[in-house]
Amino acid sequence: MSARRIVVTSGKGGVGKTTTTANLGATLARRGHRVVLVDTDIGLRKLDLVLGLEKRIVFDLVEVVEGRCQLRQALIRDKRFESLNVLPAAQTREKTAVSEEQMAQIIEELAATADYVLIDCPAGIEHGFRSAVAGAREAIVVTTPEVSAIRDADRVVGKLVQRNLPLRLIVNRIRPEMVKSGDMLSVDDVCGVLSLELLGMLPDDEEIIDATNRGEPLALDPSKRLAVLYEKIARRLDGEIVPFTSFEPPGLLNRFFAMWKAG
Amino acid sequence: MALQELREVQPEPLVPPIARAAGRAIVITSGKGGVGKTTTTANVGAALAARGKDVVLVDADVGLRNLDIVLGLENRVRYHLLDVLEKKVELETALIRDKRNERLHLLAAAQSREKEDVDTDAMRALIDRLRAQFEFVLIDCPAGIEMGFKNAIAGAQHAIVVCTPEVAAVRDADRVVGLLPADWRPELIINRLRPALVNKGKMLSVEDVDAILRLPLLGVIADEPAVIVSTNRGEPLALDPSSKTGAAYRAIAARLAGEDVPLPVPRPEPRLLAKLGALFSRSAGGRA
Repeated sequence: MSARRIVVTSGKGGVGKTTTTANLGATLARRGHRVVLVDTDIGLRKLDLVLGLEKRIVFDLVEVVEGRCQLRQALIRDKRFESLNVLPAAQTREKTAVSEEQMAQIIEELAATADYVLIDCPAGIEHGFRSAVAGAREAIVVTTPEVSAIRDADRVVGKLVQRNLPLRLIVNRIRPEMVKSGDMLSVDDVCGVLSLELLGMLPDDEEIIDATNRGEPLALDPSKRLAVLYEKIARRLDGEIVPFTSFEPPGLLNRFFAMWKAG
Repeated sequence: MALQELREVQPEPLVPPIARAAGRAIVITSGKGGVGKTTTTANVGAALAARGKDVVLVDADVGLRNLDIVLGLENRVRYHLLDVLEKKVELETALIRDKRNERLHLLAAAQSREKEDVDTDAMRALIDRLRAQFEFVLIDCPAGIEMGFKNAIAGAQHAIVVCTPEVAAVRDADRVVGLLPADWRPELIINRLRPALVNKGKMLSVEDVDAILRLPLLGVIADEPAVIVSTNRGEPLALDPSSKTGAAYRAIAARLAGEDVPLPVPRPEPRLLAKLGALFSRSAGGRA
């Protein structure tokens, strides 16, 4: 059995690739899968921070490629789940230090002992993007419902389609109240523009900033609504059919109506 | 001796042949993507032009251009940066004049080309040429620190680093500062500050970011849904006289233009209950 090899990409930066990779990885590990997360953002690594593992890095991706250490020596085991491992990026090197072939080789090796290999792609469509995509067999495109993010996602979709990768979409940072007032594109609009299958949708949640700063994936706190939504995405990745729930803005009026209806 | 004589012949200091030959070329960079480089470039550029400065905005994000969208000029792009660098068209032909202000210009990025197609020396020469023509040349840098970053900083003399108050963004900003020429003194814009979250201890404060990066602070911009709306609509918020965020961008422009204006720092909006509480305590105090 060989692992699923999924690159998490977006074109535009700051739409939530790393947060998605970390939270989805943690959720998949909690569901009992063996998961490896690969940070390919050489020079600007962050996956270690989001998982709170930055102090445990000894070796990195580039050192593996250059033969200075074994692949298993560079893997960092997560504090919370034994089955979750991270291969960190080098911080003081250039993206060109790893070629597409070398990256594909490493992903291949990791896939031999895992169920899921999630590859966190750097922003942009330069060398770093090409090598991140090199070892992947499928892709998750993350976007926000903003015109510029969608345009960049569309550009990336074009490049991934050329490589015949199956694609699915996560729409991140939705602000339901803005969608309702017509100031933000709806998930339907975004899916329509990109014509991709929807894998998940996530609201803009201010708690994610604090969780990221603290290195604690929000997905592991079952009391959070984001945890429920990541769980659904993980189940969809596992092949389950999970219905999508729309989130209404939690406005005073809505709450009132909900109470009224409940009554 | 001959030089001495020359000086005596010309008692007045020489006026430079072109008064504005030394426009400032400033790159707007961040390392991390999605922190607001393009929004900052568009708004600061629009605010500078509104102050009467001649401004050109250069989108260096070849392949993933967005500056045209933020300015609402996406339907007017005919030629782009690479057309100029590869001498397919004249610079004047490729420059797009803004709809609202004729002092503001855009040089769009190519959308269907690669960043590696840009020749660094040609880029440097182009920025020099733009500096002769414009008082401010603002270069919108792509995310990351690959070739696109190197080309974007090539012709610049100064950098504005944009950073959000998040650990990940601060780490990338710090990395980028280390990659900029050692003799630069980059200035910092802290973007997307949520004062209410800072007060709750759930977001880094301006002071926290300052303690890590130690860069002169050029401005602080609050996180506001209006920024998303204005970006989607292609109407820079800096031109909205009623917007606080617009005022913050105008203050940044004033500082770049050399004016000594105070730095507005966003404060949390008082919540409804707190407002009521304040009213109540005031009236209670009045009665006592």
